[in-house]
Amino acid sequence: MTDRHDPARRGFDRRRFLTTAALGGATIVGASALGGLDADAAFAAPIPSLDPAIAKSAFAEGRITAIKGSVLEVAGSYGDRHLIQLTNATSIWKLRTTTADAIRTGDGLYARGVDMPDGTIAADAVWVNIVNLFCTVRGIAKDRLHLTHGSADHEVVGRIVPETTTASYLGGALTPDLSRVRIGQSAQVLGAWRPEDDTVDIARVTVGH
Amino acid sequence: MIQDLAPLVCGLLLAATGAAKLFGRRTAQIAANTVLVRVLGNRHRAAFALRAVGALEAAVAAGLLAAPSAVVPGVATAVLGAGFTGYLGYARATAPETSCGCSARDEGPIGTRSFVRAVLVLAGGVAAAFAGGTWWHEIAGRPGWSLLVLAAAAALVAAVSRDVDRVWLPVRRLRLRLFGTPLPTGSGRRVPVEASVELLESSLAWQASAPIVRSALLDHWDDEGWRVLRFAGVHQDERGARPVSVLFALDEEATIDSSPSPAVRVSVIDDDTQEAILLDLLALSGLRTPLPLV
Repeated sequence: MTDRHDPARRGFDRRRFLTTAALGGATIVGASALGGLDADAAFAAPIPSLDPAIAKSAFAEGRITAIKGSVLEVAGSYGDRHLIQLTNATSIWKLRTTTADAIRTGDGLYARGVDMPDGTIAADAVWVNIVNLFCTVRGIAKDRLHLTHGSADHEVVGRIVPETTTASYLGGALTPDLSRVRIGQSAQVLGAWRPEDDTVDIARVTVGH
Repeated sequence: MIQDLAPLVCGLLLAATGAAKLFGRRTAQIAANTVLVRVLGNRHRAAFALRAVGALEAAVAAGLLAAPSAVVPGVATAVLGAGFTGYLGYARATAPETSCGCSARDEGPIGTRSFVRAVLVLAGGVAAAFAGGTWWHEIAGRPGWSLLVLAAAAALVAAVSRDVDRVWLPVRRLRLRLFGTPLPTGSGRRVPVEASVELLESSLAWQASAPIVRSALLDHWDDEGWRVLRFAGVHQDERGARPVSVLFALDEEATIDSSPSPAVRVSVIDDDTQEAILLDLLALSGLRTPLPLV
C-alpha cells in the first residue's frame, strides 16, 4: 500500500512473514481513552519516555536547509539548529505514511526522537510540512476547498487529494465521503503544506462541532 | 465614452468608501491596525486622519457626480489614487502586516488587490479629467453601450474588492443546494487506513503497547481481511534495549463507528533475530482488562 516495496519480491515475502507473525499475536479487546502518537500528536507535548535510560523525548521543528544522506539539517523557527538522523525505524509522514525519498530541502518539519551524545536527534517520527488549521469553509470545488483562517480571514486553498483526503463528521470515524462538507462550516484541517504554491493538501477535514 | 462614464463609476466608488470611513462605527478600530498609528503617534489621530480621508473622498465624489465635465474633480481623484498608491507602498515596505484601511470594512493585510484598487482610482481620475460631456447625457444618448460599460466597471470593482465575498457566499451555497456538491462521496471505497489508525489509537491494545512503541505508522498493508499496521519500537529486557517491530492486526472494515470495543492482535518482533517476543503487554504496562459490565 505504501511505497515501501524496495525489491518488490522481498518486500512481499517480508510482509507475508510479518502478517503471519501479527496474526499469531495475543488479542487485546477493549477501548482506551488515551490519545495516540500519530500526526495529531506532533502538536502535543513531547511524550515522556517510560524507559529510565532515556530522560525524555527530544522535539524539533523548523525548515530543512540541507539533506546529507540520512541526516536532515534543520533551521528552527527561533534561530536554533538541529541535525535529525533518520533510521530504518523512523516513521515519515508527508500527507501520508511515506519514505525518506519524499523529503525535500525547503520542507517544514516536526520531529520527535531521542537526543544522541553527538548532538544529533535520532528521530522516532518525522512529520513533514504538517499544518493544523482552524478554518471556515468559503467555497467548494471538485478538487479543492476554499478556506479562510485567522482573524484577518487569511485565504487558504485546500487541495483534495484522491484516495487520501478523508473527512470526519460530528466526531465520527474518518471516511472518504467528503460530500457532507458545507459552505460556512467551521473546519479543522490537518494537511501537508505545499511550499511550491503555498496551498495545503488536505489529509483530513473535521467538521461539525 | 469611457471617459464620460468614468466620473460616475469613480464617484459612486468614492462615495461608498468615503461614507464608510467617515460614518463607519468601526473606523477607529480599523485605524488602530493601520500604519497611520505609527506615523501620527497615536490611534486617535490615526482614526481622525482616516475619517478626514473619508470626508475628502466624499467631497471628491460629490464633485465627480455633480460636475462631471469639470477638470478639477477628475484631477482630485487622480491625486487621491496616487496618494493611496504611495501610502500603500510605504505601508507595505515598512509594516507589511498592517491593514490597509482602504474600504473601511477591509481588514486584510495589504495585498495585490489593494494596489490594483488604488491604481484603478488613479486611472479613473485621469479618465474623468478628460471627460468631454456629462454621464447623464452619455447614458441618455447611448443607453445600451453605457449599461455594458457600467456593468464591466462594476465587475472590475467587484473583482478587486474583498467585501463582495460576503455577497457571493449565499450564491455559492444556493448553487451547491441546486446542483449538489462536486465533492466525492467515496462510495465503494474501502475504509481509509487513517480510520484504522484512529481505531487503533482508541484501543486498549494501543494503550498497553505504549511503553514499547516509539514511531508513528511505518507501514501498512491488507491481507485476507486483515489490516496490518507496523510501528517501530524499543523493548527493554535483561539483555538491554532492542529494536523491535510492533505489529497490530485489525479487521480491515472496522472503524470507531462500527467497533466501539475493538479486538486487536498485537505482536512484537525482534528486528535483529526476526523472532516474536512473547510479552504480556497488559501486565507490562500496568493495565488490566476491565471486567465486562453486564
